[in-house]
Amino acid sequence: MIPNPLALIAEITHRCPLHCVYCSNPLQMVGAKTELATEEWLRVFQEATRLGILHLHLTGGEPLARTDLKDLVEGAHAAGLYTNLITSGIGLPESRLQALVEAGLDHIQLSFQDGREGPANWIAGAKAHAHKIALAPVIRRFRIAFTVNLVVHRHNLDHLEEMIAFVEQLQPDRMEIAHAQYYGWALKNRDRLMPTRAQLENCLRIVDAAQQRLSGRMRIDCVVPDYYARYPKACMGGWGRRLMLIDPSGHVLPCHAAGVIPGMQFDNVCHHPLEWIWNDSPAFRRFRGEDWMPEPCRSCDRRAEDFGGCRCQAFLLTGDAAATDPVCSLAPTHGVVESAQLRANSGEAQPAAWSYRLNPE
Amino acid sequence: MAPPVDSSQPRLAAGCRWGKQGDEPVVLFPEGMIRVQGTGQSVLELCDGQRSVEEIVGVLAGRYNSADPAKVREDVRAFLEALQQKRIVDY
Repeated sequence: MIPNPLALIAEITHRCPLHCVYCSNPLQMVGAKTELATEEWLRVFQEATRLGILHLHLTGGEPLARTDLKDLVEGAHAAGLYTNLITSGIGLPESRLQALVEAGLDHIQLSFQDGREGPANWIAGAKAHAHKIALAPVIRRFRIAFTVNLVVHRHNLDHLEEMIAFVEQLQPDRMEIAHAQYYGWALKNRDRLMPTRAQLENCLRIVDAAQQRLSGRMRIDCVVPDYYARYPKACMGGWGRRLMLIDPSGHVLPCHAAGVIPGMQFDNVCHHPLEWIWNDSPAFRRFRGEDWMPEPCRSCDRRAEDFGGCRCQAFLLTGDAAATDPVCSLAPTHGVVESAQLRANSGEAQPAAWSYRLNPE
Repeated sequence: MAPPVDSSQPRLAAGCRWGKQGDEPVVLFPEGMIRVQGTGQSVLELCDGQRSVEEIVGVLAGRYNSADPAKVREDVRAFLEALQQKRIVDY
């Protein structure tokens, strides 16, 4: 039996004032002209609830770039969805936040690129840091959940303790420390982003100590980088098992990155009910279950835990989306990950410049 | 944080609210949810930020009139403390 999806990630626009070098958006973005209209999203939210979805993550791009955001939040709330806004905070005066909270917003997740202004703006390719700091106390005036998200990588991990102290001052309920994952723009910048093994080990120690110290005050969730793991992550909880993502034009994908896999056709909410797309569409069935699995996954004891890892990463690193995720130490292609590790730890010269995220037309 | 005292007025924490999964009540919070049934549901439904722990215990002891109020009080306090640790309740 196909389980119900639990969460819907709605990329309501790809427009964004920031240009973060590790953005998870695809390199080929959706332009403003083909974005779904308000009423189409509202219908999708109703369908999502009927499908059993509980959580909605409104993201982008920058979701605040949509002038109808309040209507979207209102419609999501009316559909019964727990609504989370994932934002850079650029374009959110207090009056607009108040309107969103009154419309039923449950949770806001504010991203930071660093605790220090110079490096933060360098990663974002925009002068955003000071605005974000100013927004935090405004958010705290409202009774909604507040998460601060911090992406960590080679250039900020050495001052992680300082960054945690910085985030503590913003008084969120929760902090997410997310290692950059190498898809989209982050893959273009991988050799500049990837930490050393020593940085990673130090990070895990620091996070563990902070979790204990802040228990009951601020929850810390940490997403560890899979390039140094022995086994792959259960990407998105398995292909088409828990999550679905809708891009700005209404195409439904099992994750942020699946658009890179050649030969896949992702169906659109304008042409098919969400329930059919989840249960029956060829894209969602493609890597469900175990029939598609190659060896060593097919006979591996861990196949029901990690589902063979990430299909997009398998394609991006090996050219074959049906291969074992090469981060797995048992994968025949694990050498490509080992050579990335070797480069990250060798002190070899890094590429000289970032590839900053560009905006769609 | 310490367990709640008799005068504490527990309520769902900011960003936590009731929802439904099918017909079953659940408490939703960032990135997750818990199913609540039976006495846990009864306790949480009484946590409106107005009633004190003492009043909540009184209501529950009255509802289940065979229950020992001292035992109910201990159970309620332990339950609320555990949910506070998960940041689902504050008091």
